[in-house]
Amino acid sequence: MTSVARPAPRRLAAFAVPSEPGNERLALARVAEAVAASGLPPARLERLKTAVAEATMNAIEHGNRGRPEVPVDVEVTQEGDDIVVAITDLGGEHAPPGPAEEPDLLLKLEGEQQARGWGLFLIRNMVDAMQVRTDGPRHTIQLTMRGGGATPVPHSGGLEGGGHEEEL
Amino acid sequence: MKKSCEAAVHAVGGTAVIELTGEVDGGAAGVLNAAYEQAVGSGDPGTVVLDFARVGYINSTGIALIVSVLARARAERRKVVASGLSEHYREIFDITRLSDFIEVFGDLDTAVSQLAGPAA
Repeated sequence: MTSVARPAPRRLAAFAVPSEPGNERLALARVAEAVAASGLPPARLERLKTAVAEATMNAIEHGNRGRPEVPVDVEVTQEGDDIVVAITDLGGEHAPPGPAEEPDLLLKLEGEQQARGWGLFLIRNMVDAMQVRTDGPRHTIQLTMRGGGATPVPHSGGLEGGGHEEEL
Repeated sequence: MKKSCEAAVHAVGGTAVIELTGEVDGGAAGVLNAAYEQAVGSGDPGTVVLDFARVGYINSTGIALIVSVLARARAERRKVVASGLSEHYREIFDITRLSDFIEVFGDLDTAVSQLAGPAA
């Protein structure tokens, strides 16, 4: 049996943003800059930017509870052809924001679900894999965009990948 | 860096047009709701066009605002259509199923001409 060695992960960027409203735009711009030379097709870059913005917004609002002095850490890594973005807040293990159920537009239009609650849904549908892990106070959402132009299928509730995961 | 949402409202025949500029996020709530009020406040339009050609960013809270506008319009038996969405936000309209309820046109001129029907 032969095995193909996988290249060591290469860090493209690591930075922190204060937990202030609107700083998700800062994070998505920095991530876009970091992956500019990675060859990620423009449509998939837009997907990654949306996922990063939503995950950072959740970290600011629900993890760090909008305390500017508490940073959201962002690390961008290239693993082979894959781009991996890890977004960490210091909120420890916390429930995902918004309603527990999947957003249903018809129910929202009929007033049976609140209009909000699209953030995690968008994240799941924008990237190829999402993992969540908690290590003490550090709560990390890891987003993976695979190289080679894979198209994410609409999310049906599961999570992909190894490590400690929590059901969202 | 942040570009606050602005809206310009005008009427074309029986259609109200809301041209949005900037970012559609939580900060756009007041602007979007006021624009909708203005759009339906005169002439009782049957259709409201939301034009996104000058919108560079829509987040999940912005999607929720659009859902709220759509819910209100449906309750008032008005149609909502969209124009000028980028390919990315067009995809998000598909994923969220907004495009099942909001007809999407490539640009505002096309939307207005289609809504006006064939020329006499």
